[in-house]
Amino acid sequence: MSEFIELKQVTKTYTRGGETLRVLDALDLTIPHTDFVALMGPSGSGKTTILNIVGGLDRPDSGEVTVANETVSSLSESQLPGWRARHVGFVFQSFNLVPVLTAIENVMLPLLLTPLSRAERKKQAEFALEVVGLSDRMTHRPSQLSGGQEQRVAIARAIATDPDVIVADEPTGDLDRDTANSVMELLGRLNTELQKTIVMVTHDHVAAEQCKRILHLDKGTLVEGGPMGAGTGGSGAA
Amino acid sequence: MKVPWGLALRHVRTHWFRNMLTIGAVSVAVFLFCFLVSLIVTLDAQVEEASVDRLVVKSAVSLFVDLPLDYQTKIANVPGVELLTKWQWFGGYYQDPNTGFFAQFAVDVDPFFEMYENDIEILEAPAGATGDLRIAVRDAMRSEKRGALVGATIANKFGWKVGDTIPLICTIFPKTDGTPWDFKVLGIYGKKKQSIDDQTLFFRFDYFEDTVLGQGTMDSVGTGTFFVQVAPGASAKAIDDIDALFHNGPQRTKTTTEGAFMQGFVSMLGNLPLFLGTIGGAVVFAVFFSVVNAMLIAGRQRIRESGIMKALGFSNSAIGTLIVFESLLLTGLGGLLGIALTLGLERAAGPAIQGMFPNFGVEPRAILLGAAIALGIGVIAGIAPSLTLMRLRPTEALRSDG
Repeated sequence: MSEFIELKQVTKTYTRGGETLRVLDALDLTIPHTDFVALMGPSGSGKTTILNIVGGLDRPDSGEVTVANETVSSLSESQLPGWRARHVGFVFQSFNLVPVLTAIENVMLPLLLTPLSRAERKKQAEFALEVVGLSDRMTHRPSQLSGGQEQRVAIARAIATDPDVIVADEPTGDLDRDTANSVMELLGRLNTELQKTIVMVTHDHVAAEQCKRILHLDKGTLVEGGPMGAGTGGSGAA
Repeated sequence: MKVPWGLALRHVRTHWFRNMLTIGAVSVAVFLFCFLVSLIVTLDAQVEEASVDRLVVKSAVSLFVDLPLDYQTKIANVPGVELLTKWQWFGGYYQDPNTGFFAQFAVDVDPFFEMYENDIEILEAPAGATGDLRIAVRDAMRSEKRGALVGATIANKFGWKVGDTIPLICTIFPKTDGTPWDFKVLGIYGKKKQSIDDQTLFFRFDYFEDTVLGQGTMDSVGTGTFFVQVAPGASAKAIDDIDALFHNGPQRTKTTTEGAFMQGFVSMLGNLPLFLGTIGGAVVFAVFFSVVNAMLIAGRQRIRESGIMKALGFSNSAIGTLIVFESLLLTGLGGLLGIALTLGLERAAGPAIQGMFPNFGVEPRAILLGAAIALGIGVIAGIAPSLTLMRLRPTEALRSDG
């Protein structure tokens, strides 16, 4: 597997209440293409910050971030939205669907940024909803869907534009065990069948065990990680 | 820049109650604004379009004190004076004092027709009239003592046609036998200038004078005003000369230009244009703040959604544009409704309003200004929340409860 996501000496600090917190400390990380990685660690360890930086939602203070051979860290603020639209699909803990839109309209929303016609956008959104098993819920509003269904719509939205990377921030955090398992199964299928590289933050060990690798973070550095079933050995940390 | 315009429409529909209130507030403001501006323009038009070479001579004491008729010859001899007519308020009504009241004036026919050649146009003349209708009506009035020239609006209101005899009851100069005054419609006029009131009846002064004196109830009659046409540029000197002429006379005169005379009427209502303008402005401001407040609330509720859109790849400018568009949609709809209300009022109650404010009509520029104000409010009210949403980082916006 080729290196697909690469973080070199990435540092990120936040200032809260006058205090400067170093969230990521000269972090090196590589994630190969079609990998399915779970980032775990205590609160404040930098998991979500890594996710945001990989997804282009946030910028590092220093260091270099490369995703799909593109140096994301050198993109300007005005270039980042376009880059996100082309390369990244997001799945959030609280689903983050637009409440006034139906399921299919939510999935069609990012497709508006593509050159597709309306008919093509609709067709692609229908396909994405079919992939996540929600063909019969297309015209439902988020308030008319269960939590698991909402997350499936969010996943359909994340894959609708056929992105290179899916970043998922605690995608099972608001779901019961059975629903969480089905969501993880779906993400697994996206990884194996559609060859999507997935980076996921989770506190859920059961969910993490369904990933190919688990990386543990503490105080902004990788402390251990490795392929599932191969023990821990830090192979994910460069 | 790609903007999901449909999302704004969906928000407008979803929060329909709040948005209906906003649209309602804007429509009331635009309606009031258009109506009041039209009213102000109506009042101002009479002043602005008044002839600078036409003077009005009235008593220095009050408009309600008549001037002696022998002043006419003296005024006619003032250098620069070209035309001169008496202009006496009659104060009659047709059938019903409440619904049948309108203005009537006794005038000198020949100078009147000449003086107002460029202000009024004759729409209907006696049957068989050929050539210049103005001359035809003037000649008809010369030969018919009870002849009257009637404004088109008032003729339409009462269904009068040329040849009709119309009875008017006059409370100021009542007939001693209790019968009404009879007038024969010999012509119907329309206006060439917006400032001209086409709700007036003009008739022969000698009919008025002979009838009043013939009853033996009054020794003499006078006239409330003389309207004087002077040579171009002769106004200022003529004003001084006329007033000087009667400085020691039985009645001192106060001569003004026609515009100043009209302004005097507007002033009698107090500073109405300023008053109306202040009300209109205050309402627009109040609604502006209410729309800004509504859009700020909408913006706060849209923080997380803007975070989602940013994460999906929509640009800050697309997100900002979307909320300005939503704001414009609300105020635009409100503006359209307000304009429709104004035009509806003009259609439904125009004649009633014209009874109080002759020549009232909804001004196209008032409509344009009203629309511009509605859209202006929309843009400004949308800018505040759009800037907030544009400035937020995606990660901050996604953490929001909004």
